[in-house]
Amino acid sequence: MVAFRNSDAAGRTTGLLIRCVLFSLLALGLMIVDKRYDQLGKIRRFLSVVAYPAQVAVASPFEGWAWLQESVTTRDALRADKARLEQELRVAQFRLQRYEALEAETQRLRALRENTAGVGAKFIIGEVMDVDLDAFRERLLLDKGARDGVFVGQAVLDSGGVFGQVARVGELTSEVILVSDAAHAIPVQINRNGLRTIAVGTGDTGHLRLPYLSTSADIVKGDLLVTSGLGGGFPAGYPVGTVAEVRRDASQSLAEIDVRPAAALDRSRELLLVWLKPAASTPLAAANPAPVPPPGAAKK
Amino acid sequence: MMRETRGRRLPMGLSALVALGLAIVPLPKTLDAFRPDFLVLVVFYWSIESPRAGGLTLAFMAGLALDVIKGVVLGQHALALTLMAAWATHLRLRLRVFSVLHQSLTIFALLTGYQFILFWVDGATGNPVTTFSRWLAPVIGALIWPLLAGTLSRLHER
Repeated sequence: MVAFRNSDAAGRTTGLLIRCVLFSLLALGLMIVDKRYDQLGKIRRFLSVVAYPAQVAVASPFEGWAWLQESVTTRDALRADKARLEQELRVAQFRLQRYEALEAETQRLRALRENTAGVGAKFIIGEVMDVDLDAFRERLLLDKGARDGVFVGQAVLDSGGVFGQVARVGELTSEVILVSDAAHAIPVQINRNGLRTIAVGTGDTGHLRLPYLSTSADIVKGDLLVTSGLGGGFPAGYPVGTVAEVRRDASQSLAEIDVRPAAALDRSRELLLVWLKPAASTPLAAANPAPVPPPGAAKK
Repeated sequence: MMRETRGRRLPMGLSALVALGLAIVPLPKTLDAFRPDFLVLVVFYWSIESPRAGGLTLAFMAGLALDVIKGVVLGQHALALTLMAAWATHLRLRLRVFSVLHQSLTIFALLTGYQFILFWVDGATGNPVTTFSRWLAPVIGALIWPLLAGTLSRLHER
């Protein structure tokens, strides 16, 4: 890093060294401020608005192609689709009847136990933007941001189960960290017996691990994992995944357990952003006279 | 001299924008790890080609853009790109007379340094990415360097 100035035979790049040091210090300062204090949130939100047109520009050709494909679908395909959807709707409605009965029952039982504010009822649907964020992290960009009330740590679900949580909020977009990200962990419960543990991402879409269960733990292949609601980040009782494989090595104290996530992490395009804060007054909470406890009360 | 510097600003900005777009174009999962750091290569190119037109400023700005888009700690890519672009500027007179193979090897070293700084900051901020595939990017980058440099010089010398 010496003699920068002498390196230019043609003339002056005066102060290459100085500028290099200056910019580096600036970058280091930014990193420290960003890491230690949360002051840069506003700046970042502003910058993400600036980045938005680029992201839209990149995403739109793919969306346009999808639209084109959709608009030239044949009549037969459409008719087949319609038949299938009608059938699905019938099945879904049938299930829904049961769901309503169950919800009523749950509500009665809750009232009995004076336990309040179950699953948040308020949600909005965010659409995944066709943008690759980082090859080494399991992240996604959603088209809803601070303007729509999205907040950091918000639970994100898809039709299959828990998808992830909001890691960062921009003005118009927000970044979702998937349950399969290596830096993500979620408190879960085995549906069969209530055993609580933590499911950790592997960095590989399609696999989670349960690293904290001993070899003697009561868990078998096919067990359903649901959110336990502990920690308050996620609503309780939503499917997280099913146990795909349990490896018990006699020489190890902990079992190696592979879990297949319930959400379609690599396919879903519409995601649910859920509010379970009491402030978003749900009909359930309104029907309940008891004061609203912190979200932790949603646990069993 | 001044006019030359000014004239470079437009192609610089445009190529950086295109490279930024290429950095976020969705690719299949398996191909994603093989995506070269286009923006980094473009910054290196301009650092070597015309450093007086503001190569370092471009490097810093491009780094910030990458930070925002990738959602990592602000300043990470900016630091890495600034340092490596300065190094590229330092080496530029030698680089111009190097053979293609030599150039690619130098670019490989620069990209490795870049990845190393990113790796180090990742570790220091507490979310290390230890997958081996991140060290693939320098190899890919070095391989496509002749192509990219050739295209860019063809484009702006017209």
